[in-house]
Amino acid sequence: MPHNGTVTTTTASRPVAPVVHRPNVVAVGTIVWLGSEVMFFAGLFAIYFTLRSTSPELWEAQTSLLNVPYSLVNTIILVLSSVTCQFGVFAAERLQARATGKWYQVGKWGMVEWFFLTYAMGAVFIVGQVYEYVTLVNEGIALNSDAYGSAFYLTTGFHGLHVTGGLIAFLLVIGRAFAVKNFGHKEATSAIVVSYYWHFVDVVWIGLFLVIYVLK
Amino acid sequence: MKANAVLFWILSVIFAAFAVAYGWWHAAEGLVQEPVGLVALSLSSVFAMFLGFYTQRSYNSFGGELPEDRLDAEIDDGDPELGHFSPWSWWPITLAGAGALVFLGLAVGAWISMIGFTIFVVAIVGWVYEYYRGYFAH
Repeated sequence: MPHNGTVTTTTASRPVAPVVHRPNVVAVGTIVWLGSEVMFFAGLFAIYFTLRSTSPELWEAQTSLLNVPYSLVNTIILVLSSVTCQFGVFAAERLQARATGKWYQVGKWGMVEWFFLTYAMGAVFIVGQVYEYVTLVNEGIALNSDAYGSAFYLTTGFHGLHVTGGLIAFLLVIGRAFAVKNFGHKEATSAIVVSYYWHFVDVVWIGLFLVIYVLK
Repeated sequence: MKANAVLFWILSVIFAAFAVAYGWWHAAEGLVQEPVGLVALSLSSVFAMFLGFYTQRSYNSFGGELPEDRLDAEIDDGDPELGHFSPWSWWPITLAGAGALVFLGLAVGAWISMIGFTIFVVAIVGWVYEYYRGYFAH
C-alpha cells in the first residue's frame, strides 16, 4: 500500500539476522583478564627500569653475573613449549583427547599427550630457573641484597609463579580429559583458554629476557 | 564489532605516538629518560593492540554482523548462550578463603600459608571437577 510505504514494519517477512558465531564467553573473559595481566607486568617492568635508571652502577656490576647462554636455552625451551601447547589445542579443537596410534606416532597424538609434553617443558623451565636462582644467591644477588636483586627476583619470580600456575592449569585440564567419557566442547574450551594463558606468559618471558639478559 | 576493533587500533596508535613523544620530549630537553611513563605508555599501546587484534579476529570469524550492530535486528537475536554458571557452588568462596589464608600467612606466619595452601589444593580440584563427578559425570 503506498500510503505508508516509507514505514518499515517488523511484523511480516522481516529480514532475519544471520546466525553469527560469537566467540565463547570463556575465551572473551580470559582475554580481558590477560589484558589486565599485561598491565600487571607493566608495573613490574616500570619498577625494573626505574631502579635501573636510579642506580646504573649497580646494574653494571650485577648484570655481568648473569649466565646469558644458560638462560637462552631455558627461553628456547619455554618458547617451544608454546608450540607443543598449540598442537595440543589443535587436537582439542578436533575433540581428540587421547592418541589414536602408538605413543611414538606423534602425528596421532591427542591433547593429553601434547599437554603432558608441554607440562614437562614448562617444568624444565621452572627447575632451570630455580637452579639459576641458587647460583645467583651463591654469588651474592638475593631478593634483599640490593635494588638489582629486588628488581631481578620480583620480575622473574612473578613470571615464574605465573608459569607454575599454568602448569597446575595444564594438570587440571588433562584431568578433565581423563574424567569425561566424551571429550566435548566444554573440555576443549578449557584447553584453549589455558593455551591463551600459556602463550601470554611465554610472550611476557620473551620481553623479560630481552630486558634483563639482552639489554641488561 | 568492527567499530570496536577499529577503536582499539586507534587507541593503540595514540598510545604509541604518546610514548614516542614522551621519550622524545625528555631527550629534547636534555633530561634523564624517565622510564615509568615510557613503559606505561608503550605497554598501554600493546594492551590496546592485544584487544584490537582479538576483536578483529573475532569479527572476521563471525561470518556476519552481530545483531546489536544491525538496525533491523530483534532483541532475542542478540540473546547468546552465556555459558555454564553453577547456581549454588561453595567452591569459589572456599578457594577465595584459601587464598586469603595464604596471604594472611605471608603477613603473620608461614604456618598459616601452609594450611591455606592445603585448602587451596582441595578447593581448586573441587571447583574444577564439580561438574565432572557423581550426578554430573559426563
